[in-house]
Amino acid sequence: MTQLAERLYREYMTFFEKAERERRWNVFNDVPWDRVNKDASEELALCAETFCSVEMYLPDYVSGGINVVRNYFGQAWFQANWAYEESKHSLALTHYLVRSGKRTEQQMFELQGRIFAKQWSLPFNTPRQMTFYGCVQEMATFVIYLKHRERAAAEQDECLRTIYDFVARDEIAHCRFYQNVIKILLEEDRSGTLADMAHVFANFEMPGVGIVPDYDERILKMREAGVDRSLFIQKVYMPILKYLGVGRHEMLAAQRTAIDAKRDRAAEPQHQGLSA
Amino acid sequence: MDQTKLLEIFKTVATRVDRKEFPSVVLTSVITDLGIDSLSMMQIVGEMETELGVMIPDEDLVELVTVGDLCKKVGERLEAAA
Repeated sequence: MTQLAERLYREYMTFFEKAERERRWNVFNDVPWDRVNKDASEELALCAETFCSVEMYLPDYVSGGINVVRNYFGQAWFQANWAYEESKHSLALTHYLVRSGKRTEQQMFELQGRIFAKQWSLPFNTPRQMTFYGCVQEMATFVIYLKHRERAAAEQDECLRTIYDFVARDEIAHCRFYQNVIKILLEEDRSGTLADMAHVFANFEMPGVGIVPDYDERILKMREAGVDRSLFIQKVYMPILKYLGVGRHEMLAAQRTAIDAKRDRAAEPQHQGLSA
Repeated sequence: MDQTKLLEIFKTVATRVDRKEFPSVVLTSVITDLGIDSLSMMQIVGEMETELGVMIPDEDLVELVTVGDLCKKVGERLEAAA
């Protein structure tokens, strides 16, 4: 085992021990299903359905993500544990939508069918880029779930509030694991890791973009709930850099290159058919 | 340095970062209405800081709504450094 692989393994064991000792929750026993507010708004249900839809691409996330990092035991095993936890998120939200009377089981089966008609593909190619993508995505998801936890509480839906509470806690734990891995990678190769971080920031999209049915309409409802891009810098970008011990100005040069590269790609004429 | 001069520096840096002109930007322009994404905006702020030799605290950055807010923060830092 290389020194890097050993450090990643230890990081995973720390994560896993904490998860087993302090963070496990049971979909059937720990959610107050009898405290669903059936009179809560359709907007609340629509947002829950959107999160549920994004989580439903789990088979694609797992199959794509685990193979990128399979050479690193710690990261590969993290992916397996991550998949188990994410599967609970999707199941809890599906169950909520049916228990609240906002959707029928049939409607949820139909949604699953529409979801699997499209496939999620890896947004980045290397283990380091995918690790940082995971870090940003988990932090963004954590922030979004916190917002919606407040909203569920405001609508007196104790059941949904509790689900978001558990889910948000899982998401920030996942984010911390990725952040700790990135810290190790920064120690191994600071300039290369900064370049990858800048590349991911410049090209970041949430996983549901372009594949979740009716995504644009759903995002409009999210924005009405106060979740928009202005939160990204304040609640995602800055906290991540701070945790990693990377200053804004240290990111500037790498970011400039990444932003320019993205614009150059967008400006390139499409040469359809040349690679066929 | 007055706000008009800082506005001109903002336009120059924004054009360099975003590769487009901003002729109609004024101090009251809302940053999110300029079509500049949040990451490019961070780049613009960072490059203005480097050019003028000042540093705006991270906690102040999240309060910026208009271009004038940014110019004011930069102006305050320049005064403090003088």
